[in-house]
Amino acid sequence: MVKLAAKCILAGDPAVGKTALAQIFRSDGAHFQKNYTLTTGVDLVVKTVPVPDTGDSVELFIFDSAGKELFSEMLDKLWESPNVLCLVYDVTNEQSFSNCSKWLEKARAQVPGTSLPGVLVGNKTDLASRRAVDPAQAQAWALGQGLECFETSVKEMENYEAPFRCLATQFLHLYREKVELFQGLV
Amino acid sequence: KMKTDLCLSSEGTEVILATSSDEKHPPENIIDGNAETFWTTTGMFPQEFVICFHKHVKIEKLIIQSYLVRTLRVEKSTSKEPVGFQQWIEKDLVHTEGQLQNEEITAHDGHATYLRVIIQSAFDHFASVHSISAEGTVVLNSS
Ligand SMILES: Nc1nc2c(ncn2[C@@H]2O[C@H](COP(=O)(O)OP(=O)(O)O)[C@@H](O)[C@H]2O)c(=O)[nH]1
Ligand SMILES: [Mg+2]
Repeated sequence: MVKLAAKCILAGDPAVGKTALAQIFRSDGAHFQKNYTLTTGVDLVVKTVPVPDTGDSVELFIFDSAGKELFSEMLDKLWESPNVLCLVYDVTNEQSFSNCSKWLEKARAQVPGTSLPGVLVGNKTDLASRRAVDPAQAQAWALGQGLECFETSVKEMENYEAPFRCLATQFLHLYREKVELFQGLV
Repeated sequence: KMKTDLCLSSEGTEVILATSSDEKHPPENIIDGNAETFWTTTGMFPQEFVICFHKHVKIEKLIIQSYLVRTLRVEKSTSKEPVGFQQWIEKDLVHTEGQLQNEEITAHDGHATYLRVIIQSAFDHFASVHSISAEGTVVLNSS
């Protein structure tokens, strides 16, 4: 049994629902939730996510910019040494989807030479009549980037836990890989 | 006085604290005299552990075997309790692809009862410490 800790960064255009997603994930009535508001205008959501069928869990430290528009210096600090990435777009906003590659590149540049487990989340599926991004297109792009793909509606409280559970599972797999590597060294 | 490895659990040394632990790879593995067994960090940095000698020792050389550690800091205390740690060693390690980092540090003023070893940063999401040995002498066998 192991409890891992992972810094999770939220990336994506403004107003796609990053804060809403982190907040709904926190406020769900499950165990071990803590909330800290840091003085820097950063909101930190801490929540332990059990990994199914393992007895292991991952404590996610989700760093959010708390509504402030981010300029590069602050973003660099906030994004320092991430372990996992939650990349969010708005399914009614084509631009927010096409900007994902830019956000992904920026996030990966934080950990050069190291893999960064991640999920792609298309939010606001409740606005079905205004949908502008084809799920198949998003899926194809995510696959090509090695990201797991999800759609959510924070407003309807739909599927908001799955991306975080997936991140926890990916991070545990990465840990097991590394332990195997350590074991083979001597 | 004979020089011995002061960092062995068989000599009474203990790890009294570690900030992360996988029960399959506990911090005791650092001082069991076997480089095959190791302690792993379990995500995010810094991570640290505290070694208690249960006696007053004078360390002349510290040898740390690890993997993926980038910045290492060692503090020491000469108190009876694990308090009053003072900065002692700080080192940037190089990444050694596929083999253990073997860091030999010649120590100045190596008087200690406790060591606090801090991994400030790593080359990956996780790092391992396989062994620490301290060459030196026992100054005073307390109790
Ligand atoms: N219809 C709808 N609106 C949402 C959803 N999620 C967030 N919003 C709204 O989108 C706006 C921006 O959300 P916010 O979380 O601040 O976005 P952020 O800038 O990415 O952090 C707010 O008005 C939210 O209420 C959703 O699933 N459906
Ligand atoms: Mg926000």
